[in-house]
Amino acid sequence: MMDELELLKKDWQKKEAHLPKLSFDEIYKMIWKKSSSIVKWIFYISIAEFLFWIAMSFIPLENDELTGVGAKTFQYIENVIEILGYVVIVYFIFKFYLNYKKINTTDSAKSLMKKIITTRKTVMQYVWFNLGLFAALMIIVFLESIFYNAEYADLSQRISEADNPALIWLIVGVLLVFTIVIFGVLLWLFYRLIYGILLKRLNANYRELKKLEV
Amino acid sequence: MNKELEHKFVTELEDNQNIVHKVCSLYTNDRDSHNDLFQEITIQLWRAYPKFRGEAKFSTWMYRVALNTAITLYRKSKRRVKTQDFDSVIYKIRTDEYDDTEERQLKLIYDAVKQLGDIDKALVFLYLEDKDYSEIAATLGITEVNARVKMNRIKNKLRTILNP
Repeated sequence: MMDELELLKKDWQKKEAHLPKLSFDEIYKMIWKKSSSIVKWIFYISIAEFLFWIAMSFIPLENDELTGVGAKTFQYIENVIEILGYVVIVYFIFKFYLNYKKINTTDSAKSLMKKIITTRKTVMQYVWFNLGLFAALMIIVFLESIFYNAEYADLSQRISEADNPALIWLIVGVLLVFTIVIFGVLLWLFYRLIYGILLKRLNANYRELKKLEV
Repeated sequence: MNKELEHKFVTELEDNQNIVHKVCSLYTNDRDSHNDLFQEITIQLWRAYPKFRGEAKFSTWMYRVALNTAITLYRKSKRRVKTQDFDSVIYKIRTDEYDDTEERQLKLIYDAVKQLGDIDKALVFLYLEDKDYSEIAATLGITEVNARVKMNRIKNKLRTILNP
């Protein structure tokens, strides 16, 4: 039996006569159309993510009316986290920009895919960093309010006087962790959904090329 | 200056548009998707064009951008309105012209190729375009040995599809 592809190859050139033929004007019009490539989508979504987390960092945290000796330490930690947050944003935006610039359609297929995946990973790392920061801030603000906010002083006082204060504190702690976990899982699912749809085919193709190396 | 570049690019693409049409016919199933992909490849080629300074032949350079767009950048549109199978249109004309068993067999092989994955299609396409293994390997970013191995696997895959 003759090689199937050889057979097809012989016919392939003949097939050209039946291909559509676009005019100069038709092609000229196309070059000004908007691209809908996944790189463009990733770029827009990433910018939106950066803006979202930058906006989040402007939400003022309620830390007035703090009293007590430990309050100062907490406020100090908060400030450090805030400054760290800004430094990290600048770092990630810069890294994202460099990765994005490297994406080049004249690369080999594998290297192009790898660069797109790297660009995506940078933004993902940024998101995880922010989630971590957010969780840390939640815990700090929570502890602050309980121990040093005059409004809640009464509450912690009453818990300490209860029959089983350790259990109540444990329940409060578990609730806090639970809230953070739920929040994190929801965000994670949201991202999985967006990028799962967007990058499913790209990831599969990249894995296929990568698999050849083994 | 810019007008000159536009004119030069469009003329070159017009002369070499067959390459893009062939990629589109492998990676899409209907006329709308074919046109969508053609447009996206054109946009990507135009974007990359200022950096193209004749270090390779225009057509050689086109293969990479066109395949990269089809495999990696292009998002298949959700709307799957099967108006009329584009390739069956081509083949209908052909079977009218000279109807014989070879023609039918070609149609079967072509349908089998269309069932392959994105990467496999790219290899088949470059092979049909008479590219050697070093160029196939460089376009995909794999080694020449792996390109050969992959090609043999594809031939076996096609045989399995054709003779189940």
